[in-house]
Amino acid sequence: MATSFTPALKFSGRELTLACVCLVAIVIFSLASPYFATLDNLTTVLRNSTELLLIGLGMTLLLAMGGVDVSVGVVMGLAAIVIGQLLNAGVSPGLTALSGPLVGAVIGVISALVVVVGRIPAIVGTLGLYGVYRTAVFALLGGQWLSGLPDSLTQLVSAPLLGLPITVWVIALAYGLVWLALRRTPYGLHLLAIGNSEDKARLSGIAVTRVRFATFIISGLLCGLAATFYVGTYRNVEMTIGSQLALEAIAAVVLGGTGIMGGHCSLLGTVLGVFLLRILQNGLLLIGVPSLWQTVVTGGLLLLVLTAEVLSGRLRIHNMNLRKNRLKGEGTA
Amino acid sequence: MTLTAGASRLYRKNLVLTLLCGLWVALALTLLIGQPSILSGATLTSILQFATLLALVSLGQALVVLAGGAGIDLSVGGNVSLSAIAGVMALQAGVPAVLLPVVCLLCGFLLGAVNGLLIAKLKIYPLIVTLGTFYAYSGLALSLTGGAAQSGVPAWVLPWGRGVLGDIPLPFLTLVIPAFLIAALLLSFTSWGRWIYAMGFNEHSARLVGIPVDRARILLYSLCGMLAGGAGFVSLSWLGSGRPNAGVNLELESLTAALLGGVAIFGGKGGVAGVFAAVLLLVTLKTSMLQFGINTVWQVGVVGLLLIAVLLADRLSKTRS
Repeated sequence: MATSFTPALKFSGRELTLACVCLVAIVIFSLASPYFATLDNLTTVLRNSTELLLIGLGMTLLLAMGGVDVSVGVVMGLAAIVIGQLLNAGVSPGLTALSGPLVGAVIGVISALVVVVGRIPAIVGTLGLYGVYRTAVFALLGGQWLSGLPDSLTQLVSAPLLGLPITVWVIALAYGLVWLALRRTPYGLHLLAIGNSEDKARLSGIAVTRVRFATFIISGLLCGLAATFYVGTYRNVEMTIGSQLALEAIAAVVLGGTGIMGGHCSLLGTVLGVFLLRILQNGLLLIGVPSLWQTVVTGGLLLLVLTAEVLSGRLRIHNMNLRKNRLKGEGTA
Repeated sequence: MTLTAGASRLYRKNLVLTLLCGLWVALALTLLIGQPSILSGATLTSILQFATLLALVSLGQALVVLAGGAGIDLSVGGNVSLSAIAGVMALQAGVPAVLLPVVCLLCGFLLGAVNGLLIAKLKIYPLIVTLGTFYAYSGLALSLTGGAAQSGVPAWVLPWGRGVLGDIPLPFLTLVIPAFLIAALLLSFTSWGRWIYAMGFNEHSARLVGIPVDRARILLYSLCGMLAGGAGFVSLSWLGSGRPNAGVNLELESLTAALLGGVAIFGGKGGVAGVFAAVLLLVTLKTSMLQFGINTVWQVGVVGLLLIAVLLADRLSKTRS
């Protein structure tokens, strides 16, 4: 069902549609609320997108490979706790910032051992791990928030570099590297091949286990990186940290056009999907919809887009058949 | 055939079942040595009371997984919460109190049917559909109530929800046992039950021999939803109020129970008796953790670990054979 190799960063119809929907949402919310189109608010939207952009990048790779990870939010939480405790212990901000991705990668190895080496279906395996990690978060926090952390990390991640916050550069670098890996190395080709058909990929000599293992580590690493920015920005770690992130990441990636059955992916689509989600959440809040509705909106949006996609695909096939039949009719006449 | 030969054959044939028995024995021994006082009628009552919700939901989950097609229902927890809330809200809106169970069951059935239609008719991956509906349903339960427990459960359901016959809670006796019996009979003795195994074992062949796979699947997801709605009603009559978090973590626990009970994750293999045993094991485990004074936050971790362990064991037994 998936096309064999969709360029990872081509501006296709899907991305164009998504960009237009983002624009329409921005226009509507600007008209509905005087606070939406202010520089302050738009910066907030971008700021709130940071973690989801990074976690969504990892999720794009996982879904393109035919995998999934529902524990990503809690992985970020675990990394955030380590970062917070290092900060409290007075470790230098540079080292602390690096500890995030490191912890994330280590947890990625654990997930990969369970799912890839243990050969458990990704959804069930990571659901089990979600429970384990969630308990680990509770146990490590010991029933109370980490709050009022030192602001040394905050100064580091919000420091401007060439006129933009360092966060922007790091995210751009992450996307650039992944794009290169997808387009310029065998890894990308192998990843999509596995997504298309794991059996065929294995038969054609691709080191399936190694590629899948690596992807789980990359996703874990990105979750850890997200934790660095999370702690840097909010300077606290709460008990329920990351409880919505897995759904939001999957929704954003699917919105962006990455096939849920694997085989093709779109990095630009993921970025736009994340922005659309955050714009909707921010805008709805500003026009007075309580924040409790956010999960409903995210879940509903995911289902709506999938339904629309399937129905429009059917319509296209139906039209194609009609045309074919008409041509056939003319041929016999 | 000697007993040991039989046991080792059973071990090779079904590692999961062996694991289940082993866990039971280990748990019973730990309890006997550590807290003999726990072995009383009151404990049995409380275990079965907690087991009622999980048993109903796990039965639905097991049927959905059994029918294959990557079947899974992550929305059961949200469904339980939303059905309970819908029941109370319907009463607040003036629906006669007698209809409370009907409203809960119907709501659960419809929410399940949404899953089934999206999965069977539109061919969207069950995992993604039910992940979406999980957040939609549990989010709706929270946002409709603002997170607060809803009062207004009629008094007539409480004697049933909290009543016991001997040491066995009435909901367990009147809902869970009949539901499992009917499911077991359906699966073994009706063509409809054999269809479920057939489509789980090989969907393509099932279609070729004329089994209405899509219709059966929609019905199964609806049935799973209806069981969740029933669990929502039980939570109302037991707790006396509609709680928007009534179904939290049930998706993880029901999946663990179904797989622990020997239902194959890819469908086509397993039965409801194992699921019944697995539910009792899980709830006993959780209750005894409480008795030993272990914080409840550890429960979700232990359940998660069990889920992984059971899948690894299943995998191991396959590679060996």
